[in-house]
Amino acid sequence: MSDDLRQKIDDAIAEPKNLGEMENADAVGTAGSADCGDMLRMWIKFREEDGKKVIDRATFQTFGCETAIAVASLATQLIQGKTPAEALAMDGQALSAPLGALPPMRIHCAQLVEGALRQALSGAPVPKAAEPARVNAPTLMDSFAPARNTATKPVRVILKPKAE
Amino acid sequence: MGELVSRFPGAQRALFRGHHIGGCSSCGFQPEETLAQVCARNENLPVDEAVRTIISAHEADERMQIAPAEAAELVKAGKARLIDLRSREEWDATHIEGSTFFTQELSHTLGGLPREELIVFVCHHGVRSLDAAAYFAGHGLENVRSLGGGIDAWSREVDPNIPRYELE
Repeated sequence: MSDDLRQKIDDAIAEPKNLGEMENADAVGTAGSADCGDMLRMWIKFREEDGKKVIDRATFQTFGCETAIAVASLATQLIQGKTPAEALAMDGQALSAPLGALPPMRIHCAQLVEGALRQALSGAPVPKAAEPARVNAPTLMDSFAPARNTATKPVRVILKPKAE
Repeated sequence: MGELVSRFPGAQRALFRGHHIGGCSSCGFQPEETLAQVCARNENLPVDEAVRTIISAHEADERMQIAPAEAAELVKAGKARLIDLRSREEWDATHIEGSTFFTQELSHTLGGLPREELIVFVCHHGVRSLDAAAYFAGHGLENVRSLGGGIDAWSREVDPNIPRYELE
């Protein structure tokens, strides 16, 4: 990652904008896989402006990395005031444009934001990120969500004898 | 990497957050790999930079932990709430009286709890609870901690009537 991109991401995550769940949102979209630590949810509230429906506010929550947080923070600001059609016309590259070109490994962070936005605005299927290359690697979700693991691998609890 | 994560429980989270390493299957790592190998196939990230990230996150993690005895005092005084992240099987086998089983529904209400009440996440050994505390702290909850050593340490240091256990 270039120093310039690193600095832009650091700046964006130092004070992320529009972070958190939104009460009474008009639309909600989630992107990411349960098999992957990358998960992002976006909430959108609309308003009427000159007879058109435009995005009043968007917020997000994510399990994602700093790039995902930075892109989501920027994207929720970029789409403010746009109509749903105008926002849908923005792809991951457009949503992350203020950061500049993302390195290949970070492109799916922007796709995550695009996916959540698309699902919120249109209910369209979330764009599929790159196929996992290392299917058996442990993930953040594995360590954070034991309930999901137990669905496929029952846990047996063996109580230890009480110490004297 | 297995030894590294064992010594620095927040290493995986720190590497993912800072460098997008290890968070998802496409950029994950295996326990037998070395940090240098993982860095090499992740845009040749300098190992020194990865080490700095891990140590910095570890120091922050230590500040986010609370010792069982201190947590017990706060719970007794009504100033802290224990939230148990363990699996249903572990919860059914044993849990700390007054603690709450974590659910997705509960996670959505945490932000609405009184700010003066400390939220203490509990797991078996204090690893997952640290991830949870860091996650919720990153989402604006300032009053979150992780029970250091988990329910296992609570059993040893606070209440020996809580049975210790292993998982199979």
